[in-house]
Amino acid sequence: MTADSRSTSLPMGQIAVAQQQGVLRTLLGSCLGVALYDRKLKLAALAHIVLPQSSGPGHPPGKFADTAIPEMIRCMQERAAAETLRLSAKIAGGANMFGSTDSRNTIGVLNIEAVEQILGNLRIPVIGRHCGGEQGRRMMLDVANGMVTIDMVGAETFTI
Amino acid sequence: MLNDQQLAALTKLFAHGSTDASAALSRWLGRPAQIKISRIEEVALATAAEVLGDPELPVCFCAMSLQGALTGELILAMNDASGQALADLLLSRPLGTSRTWGEVEISAALETANIIGCAYLNALAQMLPDGTELLPTPPRFARDFAESLMEFALMNQAAVSDTVFLTQTEFQIAESPVDCHLLLVPDPESVTVLQGLLAK
Repeated sequence: MTADSRSTSLPMGQIAVAQQQGVLRTLLGSCLGVALYDRKLKLAALAHIVLPQSSGPGHPPGKFADTAIPEMIRCMQERAAAETLRLSAKIAGGANMFGSTDSRNTIGVLNIEAVEQILGNLRIPVIGRHCGGEQGRRMMLDVANGMVTIDMVGAETFTI
Repeated sequence: MLNDQQLAALTKLFAHGSTDASAALSRWLGRPAQIKISRIEEVALATAAEVLGDPELPVCFCAMSLQGALTGELILAMNDASGQALADLLLSRPLGTSRTWGEVEISAALETANIIGCAYLNALAQMLPDGTELLPTPPRFARDFAESLMEFALMNQAAVSDTVFLTQTEFQIAESPVDCHLLLVPDPESVTVLQGLLAK
């Protein structure tokens, strides 16, 4: 899957929602990409989460795990109108770039833990994940079928 | 956000660093090095990854962590063509000989980062109060998507702000495709430290 005219690219800390068709994509290092999908409605959301916990109002909700996931669900529910959402999740990212142990990289682990806990509390199953390691990822969510494709520099593309 | 006076003082400081780093690069390669860009950036987190161009393209980072009076990351970034040409110049081989990132190419990039990084930091230290030490760790190499690597560099500032501060110097080497960027991304507390040091 490559970038095309139906493809929306998300920078750090942002959220995008789409329905029926198109591709939502983002590039990740230690940040975490969270994809939520309703298969029946073909309704998808992707967030590029930078940090586990917000420090107060006034920031983009997509930047933090604890504000991004509720905001994704709110935006999806708005699209779904009276329909009940049936969501599943796929997550990717949280790499330890350079294999170092400083705070830049422990944040990746904290992001994964925070997202898994929030999704667990909301009873949203995580049905695919590709996290950790020492490499960045391009995460691409196909809105038509919920497939998530992962690109890594120097590696074969694969789906989760 | 920096005021005009702080911005002017920091611009002068980093321009001094860029000039000395350019001279060191020129001596190291035995060719004139030109400063194409030397600037301070204060940009939204959402657009910061574009500082190096297309965030989806792979780039190479030689990253040095700063210790001492200032902490943060000092990074020499380049695309594949530049990094491999750099190795050819250093080994006196015809340009185009290197086509992959082997041990020799990586070593050439790391040594170049070490040399111009130290020249840059020494120049900054000369402009700061006596006894201010700026110490880099040995450089580490990674090749990955530009945005993935920028995330790493920006993470500490992103933790406290939705805008990020960094300095960027772009060098070009005469009669070669070598075009590389030196980025200084201070930790958030070091931006304040810098302002304090310049006020003395």
